[in-house]
Amino acid sequence: MNRRHFLKMSTATAVAMAASTAGLPGGKGLFRAARAGTLPIAPSGSMGASETTSVCEMCFWRCPIIGKVRDGKLIKIEGNSKSPVNGRRVCARGNSGVQLLYDPDRIKYPMKRVGARGEGKWARITWDEALDEIAHNMDKVKKEYGPHALAFFDHGASAEHLRKIFINMGTENYTSEPAFFQCVGPAALAYLETVGYITTGTRQYNDMAHAKAMLLVGSHIGENVHVSHVREFIAGLQNGARLVVVDPRFSTAAGKADIHLAIRPGTDTALMLAWINYVISNNLYDKKFVANHCEGFDALRKEVSGYSMEWAAKICDLRIEDMKAAIELLAKASPQVNIHPGRHSTWYGKGDVGRHQSYAILTALFGAVGVPGGIYFPSPVPLGHVECVAEKSEHVAPIEPEVSLKEDSAYPFSSNFGTVTADIIKAIITGKPYPIRLLGINGVNVIQTIPDPYETMKALKKLDFIFCEEIMAGETAIWSDIILPDAVYLERYDGVYAYDGLTPYVTVRQPVVDPLFEARSPYWIAKNLAKRLDIPGFTCPNEQAFIEKELEGVGYSLKTLNKEGGLITLPANPYRKPGELKLDTESGKVNLWVEAFDDEDLDPIPKYEATPAPPKGYTRLIYGRSPVHTFSRTMNNLWLHNEIPENKLWLNDKVAKMLGIRDNEEVVLENQDGKRSNPVKVLVTPGIRPDTVYMAHGFGSKSPLLSRAHGKGAADGFMMTKNVEDPFMGATSKRTNFVRIIRGGKPLAMPDLCPVPDEIPRYTIKSA
Amino acid sequence: MKQYAMIINLDRCVGCHACAVACRAEWQVPTREGYRRNWVHRLGPANTSHGMAFTFYPGLCNHCDSPACVPVCPADPVEVTFKDAATGKTKTMEVAATWKDPFNGTVQIDQSRCLGCGACRDACPYGARYVNTEVANEDIGGEGIADKCTFCMPRVEKGLAPACVQTCITDARIFGVLDDPKSEVAAYVRKGARRLESANVKIGPNVYYFGKPRDLELLARTSTPQEMPEAASRRRMLASMMQPAVRQVKTAGLLGLAGAIAVRGLAEESEEE
Repeated sequence: MNRRHFLKMSTATAVAMAASTAGLPGGKGLFRAARAGTLPIAPSGSMGASETTSVCEMCFWRCPIIGKVRDGKLIKIEGNSKSPVNGRRVCARGNSGVQLLYDPDRIKYPMKRVGARGEGKWARITWDEALDEIAHNMDKVKKEYGPHALAFFDHGASAEHLRKIFINMGTENYTSEPAFFQCVGPAALAYLETVGYITTGTRQYNDMAHAKAMLLVGSHIGENVHVSHVREFIAGLQNGARLVVVDPRFSTAAGKADIHLAIRPGTDTALMLAWINYVISNNLYDKKFVANHCEGFDALRKEVSGYSMEWAAKICDLRIEDMKAAIELLAKASPQVNIHPGRHSTWYGKGDVGRHQSYAILTALFGAVGVPGGIYFPSPVPLGHVECVAEKSEHVAPIEPEVSLKEDSAYPFSSNFGTVTADIIKAIITGKPYPIRLLGINGVNVIQTIPDPYETMKALKKLDFIFCEEIMAGETAIWSDIILPDAVYLERYDGVYAYDGLTPYVTVRQPVVDPLFEARSPYWIAKNLAKRLDIPGFTCPNEQAFIEKELEGVGYSLKTLNKEGGLITLPANPYRKPGELKLDTESGKVNLWVEAFDDEDLDPIPKYEATPAPPKGYTRLIYGRSPVHTFSRTMNNLWLHNEIPENKLWLNDKVAKMLGIRDNEEVVLENQDGKRSNPVKVLVTPGIRPDTVYMAHGFGSKSPLLSRAHGKGAADGFMMTKNVEDPFMGATSKRTNFVRIIRGGKPLAMPDLCPVPDEIPRYTIKSA
Repeated sequence: MKQYAMIINLDRCVGCHACAVACRAEWQVPTREGYRRNWVHRLGPANTSHGMAFTFYPGLCNHCDSPACVPVCPADPVEVTFKDAATGKTKTMEVAATWKDPFNGTVQIDQSRCLGCGACRDACPYGARYVNTEVANEDIGGEGIADKCTFCMPRVEKGLAPACVQTCITDARIFGVLDDPKSEVAAYVRKGARRLESANVKIGPNVYYFGKPRDLELLARTSTPQEMPEAASRRRMLASMMQPAVRQVKTAGLLGLAGAIAVRGLAEESEEE
């Protein structure tokens, strides 16, 4: 805004802005007021702007919002006051959608690579040229190598339609969401097999608001900001719930805890099993619930009997009295106790499913299933059936590959969810079991997301063709051959959003402004690509047509929904009365012992298996969330970058003192394989264990096309070159990497302040 | 006089920065270094005498009882009649380009008369003001325009909550009338909500913080101003040298605390209708 503009605006809005001021004589001294008779305290803010209801997509929680538009420009986003989960509230990211829309670095037109891959040189092309070239390459690769040579990685609301193109091309390599195999997968599988449904994912069915006690293991609500989730957490605490936080780091949640257990990383299952044993042997469990609603109790009792508190104290590096106080505090609150299932669960590879199984088991022992404060049941929302978006069409004759990457996976439970991400990367590199030559990407920065990033980059170099549909040109986009400019969520219709939690509602994403530049909606892009590939099924003229169909299911149309403020609420059925509880497992009961795991020679009841401790001179790298960012995708946002432009390396104060490192000093990290990070500033704090360092994920962008984010802070992902795959589903571990600090180009030996018991082996660094 | 005030409940605050961003969005505050009406500082984790703490300093203008920023304003005073929206009472006072409202206790700026000299910014021990040099009242020789939190008075007068309060995802911010004993704000003060004051900085801030002893200790230790800014007087000197024609008015500004008394004296003399 220039000066002239400001003055003009001040005059126009002056009347509305005068505070409690009635009359105003002109100035009588030497300074004459600029405009006698007016007293503009400030511009009129966002008041009076026209409002359109929609749904946020700054993260994947998707809060109902309103966009406030003045003179065709979006000026502010607020929560939709009709929403039972957030009302007028939106988080920092929700507020900053304005700056995603108007980010000068946005991908504005279809672009074709003209330099080398990854070099970031582009030429603007037309939509016809872009779609023709993508269709030509998809067709060519399919003809030459078969349908499975096509692969698709995606994340987020805009991915659905493009995914259907890949399904209809006949490939098995889709739904390989890094959000699953690099995030929530192990937790999802553990709960699915134990209680018959997934309690944690895009939605979480944890009744924290009504809990009398809560347990968070590594889960850092508050730094991980999902509005309704955080609101329920805080509501629980304000209602008097006690809180136990198990985390090597003193997180925001730990700051609100009654007991914080600064556990040795990688030993959470040891603590859980000792607690389960303690609960059983001290009769702290709900006998009636276990008798009526659980299977496999005797096997559980026997299996955990060897895990004593004394043993766990040594393994976990905790004090027995703190461990006891914590479990007794939780037991006292049962059944109104929330053993939070967490969300991001790909920590150590081995044992990730078992760790989450142990949360589900403890939940069941406390009878905290289908009751206030525990885990509850979703209330399905009956949306209408939509026929104008292609499911797998009949005309695609399924071609089974001789060896299937999906069905013949080494991981027995992966194919329920998709093809293992890491397996696709390997197949691209090796050409086995079959060649993969083309990659479509939507809404996921695979280089920052899939470890090992160096392997991912190697794979990308091997491909014949890569295209992506994106808003911002992160690392992945700069490796693509064609980039398609996706419409921002504020510029498009998308679909109906139904919330099936404690306060169910139906709302719809609709455009608050017209698309800028040449951005197009995901449905438009898919429909026009489908036409070129002769794929039927994208028969709706536009998104509104299928939105209308879906809304019919709840007896509404877009028009009537908008009359209701863009959102309607529905009744909930989250709890079950005693005797009415029937789970969606084969027995209808909680599986304390999981037969499906046993059938595959996997532990039916979790066992503790040590994950290697840091090698001498190294420390373990853990990571988490910055409350103002959604992974790497928001890093370039003007307002969010302004709040938190870079991450910091949390370093224990005693360690810092021994190494002579000062607060805010800049250092570089080197991992066990010699990979070095961007420079990163140090936060010296007692709030992290001496054997661990921490940084928030998503920073340290290597894309020069993100002018604000480029090179700011360090990327944890680029330190992840050692990954252990989870034996159940092939999810990739992310906390199995070790680092040391480089200062002035020289490595510093990290002091060894936490003695490692003999039961835990140390990781050995391969000599060069 | 009623006094608007704000409570920040640190037990509810998770440091999500929604307040700071919503304020920026609502009032189109530019993102230049130091330009903000509303901020969140992340404190800790650090040890306190009550155990380890990890908390936040969500800050904004304190709309102080004796604002240090008001008497230093060198702008030519004008006579202004204020009106109480509730009772219809009016009061006429001479004010420079910034003043404390006699009916709601908020500290406000007349941005059309601001010279952008920075005296008010430099006088505030909380750093609550900034001078926006992207804009200026060029007709009066201005070099920028001072800006700060207004307690969202334009919104409040229309029955809306301040932007930061409205967006706060955990309802950690509570806005209301301090001297109404029935208000939630007053209830928090009775429960022990504290101001960021020190021995040398006691100007009656009207933002109060509530929370666990460990969080309040860390907040107080890191974020309480210990001295009144001295830079303010240097800045005022510079301003007076730039504009010799108005030395007479700025002399009042130079008086510092005495100036404040003079302004208050003026206000007391004015008639209530």
